[in-house]
Amino acid sequence: MSAHLFFLLVALLFSIGLVGVISRRNLFVVYMSVELMLSAITLLFATLSQTLNSANASVMSLLTIAIIAAEAALFLAMIIHLYRINRTLDSEQCTSLKQEAL
Amino acid sequence: MSYLLTLIIFTPLFSAIILGLIQAQTRLLRAGAIVSSLITLCLTLLVLYHFDPAGGMQMVTFLPWIESSGMHYYVGVDALSLVILLLITILMPPLYLYMFKERRKGYWYNMMLLQTGVTGAVLSLDLVLFYLFWETMLLPIFIMIGKYGNGMRQYNAMKIVLMTILGSMTMLFSILYIGYVYFETYGHWSFALSDLTTLQFNAETSIWLSAGFLFAFVIKIPLVGFHTWMAPAYGSAPTPAVVILSAIMAKLGIYGIWRFGYGLFENTLTYYAPTIILLALIGLLYYAIRAITEENLRKMFAYSSGSHLSLIALGLFLENQYAWSGSLYFIATHALASAGIFFMIGLTYKHFKTVHISELGGIAQQAPLFTFFFAFFALSIAGLPGTGGFVAELLIIIGAFKYSIYVGVFSALSVLSAMIYIFWMLQRTLFGAPNEECPSYQDLNKRELLIVVPLVILLLITGLAPSLFTPLFEPYVQETLQLITTAVGVHP
Amino acid sequence: MLSIIVILPFISALFLGILYLSNPTKKRYKLYTLIGSGVPTVIAFISFGLFFKLFNGAPSLHEDLFNWIAIGDFEIPVAFTLDRLSSIMLVFISGIGALIHIYATGYMRDEEGYGKFFSYFNFFMGAMFLLILANNPIMMFIGWELVGLASYLLIGFYHQDHDNITAANKAFILNRVGDFGFIMGIALLFISLEGTAFTFDAIALNIHNIDLQTLTWIGILLFIGAMGKSAQIPLYVWLPDAMAGPTPVSALIHAATMVTAGVYMVARYSFLYVEIPQVGLFIAYIGAFSALFAAIIATYQSDIKKILAYSTMSQLGYMFIAVGLGAYSSGVFHVFTHAFFKALLFMGAGAVIIALHHEQNIFKMGGLKKQLPLVYVTMFVATLAISGIAPFAGFFSKDAILASAFASEHYLIWGIGSFTAFLTAFYMFRLLFTVFIAPASSENKLHSLPKSMTWPLVVLAIGSATAGFLGRNEAYGGENWMGHFLALPDMVIHLSHKSEYLLGGLNMLLGLSGMFLAYKMFAIKSEAPQERHFFNRLVINKFYVDTLYTRIFVQPLLLLSHLIANVIDPKLFDGIITTLSQGYLLVGRQFSRLQSGKVRLYAIQILVGISLMSYYMLFKLGVLG
Repeated sequence: MSAHLFFLLVALLFSIGLVGVISRRNLFVVYMSVELMLSAITLLFATLSQTLNSANASVMSLLTIAIIAAEAALFLAMIIHLYRINRTLDSEQCTSLKQEAL
Repeated sequence: MSYLLTLIIFTPLFSAIILGLIQAQTRLLRAGAIVSSLITLCLTLLVLYHFDPAGGMQMVTFLPWIESSGMHYYVGVDALSLVILLLITILMPPLYLYMFKERRKGYWYNMMLLQTGVTGAVLSLDLVLFYLFWETMLLPIFIMIGKYGNGMRQYNAMKIVLMTILGSMTMLFSILYIGYVYFETYGHWSFALSDLTTLQFNAETSIWLSAGFLFAFVIKIPLVGFHTWMAPAYGSAPTPAVVILSAIMAKLGIYGIWRFGYGLFENTLTYYAPTIILLALIGLLYYAIRAITEENLRKMFAYSSGSHLSLIALGLFLENQYAWSGSLYFIATHALASAGIFFMIGLTYKHFKTVHISELGGIAQQAPLFTFFFAFFALSIAGLPGTGGFVAELLIIIGAFKYSIYVGVFSALSVLSAMIYIFWMLQRTLFGAPNEECPSYQDLNKRELLIVVPLVILLLITGLAPSLFTPLFEPYVQETLQLITTAVGVHP
Repeated sequence: MLSIIVILPFISALFLGILYLSNPTKKRYKLYTLIGSGVPTVIAFISFGLFFKLFNGAPSLHEDLFNWIAIGDFEIPVAFTLDRLSSIMLVFISGIGALIHIYATGYMRDEEGYGKFFSYFNFFMGAMFLLILANNPIMMFIGWELVGLASYLLIGFYHQDHDNITAANKAFILNRVGDFGFIMGIALLFISLEGTAFTFDAIALNIHNIDLQTLTWIGILLFIGAMGKSAQIPLYVWLPDAMAGPTPVSALIHAATMVTAGVYMVARYSFLYVEIPQVGLFIAYIGAFSALFAAIIATYQSDIKKILAYSTMSQLGYMFIAVGLGAYSSGVFHVFTHAFFKALLFMGAGAVIIALHHEQNIFKMGGLKKQLPLVYVTMFVATLAISGIAPFAGFFSKDAILASAFASEHYLIWGIGSFTAFLTAFYMFRLLFTVFIAPASSENKLHSLPKSMTWPLVVLAIGSATAGFLGRNEAYGGENWMGHFLALPDMVIHLSHKSEYLLGGLNMLLGLSGMFLAYKMFAIKSEAPQERHFFNRLVINKFYVDTLYTRIFVQPLLLLSHLIANVIDPKLFDGIITTLSQGYLLVGRQFSRLQSGKVRLYAIQILVGISLMSYYMLFKLGVLG
């Protein structure tokens, strides 16, 4: 199978994730979109590993999968914590890092 | 002999560190500071004794510092830096004597750090090292004004620091770029002045690079237009800081142009000369006229300082023997005179709790000694014959006439410009009936006499027998001018 | 010997100064007197000795002390030369100076700052000797400045009064205006002659190497210095105010010696001025108008010292007529005779002032002839001398000047000079008659005069009566010894004896008629001038020149200073800088809006940023292609 299709799939997945991050307000959905983008990149690595015949990219993709797993735990914990504080999962409401007017 | 310079640079800093580590009490701190200043004075006199006027750069120490980036601990002394070095070390003991009763420890530590900063800046021959010291001397000034000053001290401290750092940034950029050009040319890094002088820049690069340096120095001097930090800073700073500001730090701007400007870009500075000469002439009159109606004595002499430094800068850019000798001589004599007058203003403040002319008056009747010294320093700033300032002004005027008659005419106005504000000021502060709101005044005591008398004697000797001092820097001036003329001749 | 003459007064000034400052309140009358007046006396004797050496035909004396400075071609030695010109100056300055010092021991006796006064006074003597004995322009300039400083210090001697200090400042600053020209002249001279030695002798030898235009400028610039120092139009306004100082100061500095330095300077540079007669003519006209102008003002003044001050200015005008027209030795001759009678007039006036407890208005005096006979007689002699009545000193010197003006065919100058001679006699006798002959306006109990104040008057009276014989023309039976001795490049006068007698007679006649008019108007009954009509008011207010100068120079300068302080500095220069920093803050505030805290917005920013970077890398840098 041509590598081009995989690249196309990567681009598609990444774009869906990107649109999700930007357009959705629910933090869970945002999280899932982020994961989607990460997965897209992992797929990219895997594809490149095949096309370039190099083990480096494979190692990289495996590493990314491990990090995604660890990150998922952290992310979910943080979302729950945020929900306890704000009683909402709307990202528009979480603006405590905003620059106050000078 | 080469270790002498290193000792001179770091003695004050190490004294300060040791005194700080043992948590010295005020008395010990005072003793330590005075001893360290006397040690540096003695060492400098030793340097003077071994100095060979015709020997160019000497007592050089060249040690690796950050070898991979071509930065070196590279110090040395020639006539130009020796003059300023002498001034620094001569002025420090009277300065500490002036601070004798000072109980705030920060004063002492700051002044010691300041001495290391200015001495290092004068002696270092590595551009990065110079930059390091150049910034180091700003820090104590910032603290002295911001913490111990008066008036809007924090605003004014911020102003001087921001404006001078703005200049320093452009200089830093130029320094780094020059280092890069050296790397491109020779394949390894170096910031040593003696290496960098071998570089040839194309005209456009040279103009931009020298502008970076000039900007820093012109702010430090300051020439007219770059001067708005000056009066507020002088007005707010405590006396020891003012003395260093006016007597030493302003001169370092001139020094920088001389050492690095003419060292690296001699033909480009000739390109800038007409502009700077014009600015200097404007400054000469602008500051003098501004000073006439100034009520605050510190600010008045800040403007006065600006006016005379413009004259020194003028002499520098005239690029002939008379003007250069005059400028170098003026650096020395103006430092002595302005240190003297700022000491006297400090004493005025100590006794009357004000430096506003309208609140003073009739001091002559109560304190003849004070009056004598005050008037003497004021007149020597105005360039009275018999004091060193006259010799310097005369030389610069002659140099200006050699350059062009028009520049000559305007520079000759300097004999007139200072007179007006100084004499009017003397009239209102010293003479007339005593101001009734002023407390009665005991005349100078022995310690205060000990501060000013050496300065008076030095000013008189420099005025009566300049030939004692001119051989010290004459070969340097001739040699450097020779280099410039050949350089300009080769690359028109 | 020469260096002793110059240095000794400085040393004694320093010594007196330190002594005084060590304990300002302590009276050390005897010590101060001994040193203060002893040193000038010793120097006077030394000077006489040296003068007689030259008188007997010895060549000029040179003395080289040390090299003052040597930078390239700028080699200036501290060296002194006593040639014939400076020996004449030296002998009368040291002589009259010593007399005035002795006089001052009486005049200043009760003053608090007695020691300080003599310190300044000796300092002045040293500076004046430096001025006249210097063998190069730079040393001369230093002396020139230092006499100005001494003058400043002494005018402001009574420093409790602001008016005195204002007068002192005015004197110094106007002198500096002159020096502004002077130093430019010197610098230009040096630059034009660069490469040759810079002493008067060497300059005289090389003067032909300078082109005429430069030489003209140098001549004018140097003369600007003389205008300031010698109180000529337009820089004269300081001299009348300078009378605020103690009277011995007025006698020594502002009459006999310092103010004549300008004339001496022109005579010293005579080798230069003979090359540029058109500048000389300009000088002569300035002199003539100053002479007339001052004489007119003097006729309406009522302060005894101010009258004498204007008369000094007027006489200085004569001297400049002479040196301007090239009659250098006549000019110096008038300097010489003038020193005697003008010092005497001031000292007499001082005696009157002391006797009347510091009264200076002549219309409050009167009838002092009986009470102060010695002062009266000596001042009479001096008045005769200044009015140009033969055979007193002023006649010969003034006649020589007017004769040369006549002979050079500048009849306007000659006419002004002659008319001024008439005015001089008039206002001087007006003073004399009002003070000594006119009935007293009020009875005064007179303060007694010490001996030290009276016998110098006698010495000077003898001098005023006889000094003129040194320069008698052939027409008057002399051989113009002064002219031959000085040997300056004078212009040659072709006048027959007959016309000389005619001119001399005319002068006598003018002098006598002035005297007669004054007698008519003031001897019987004298009254102060009133501001009656326009001319009157104009003259009494000194032609409003002071007001004019304040309007033209002082006020605009202050205005400019305020403008800089309140507008240009804070609004323009600081304005630019604060605008920059404010702008920086403003931009920062705008950018801070991007940090909204909204995650989705951040994501868009990241997207846009990455997109732009990718675009740049792909299409501009061509990373892949």
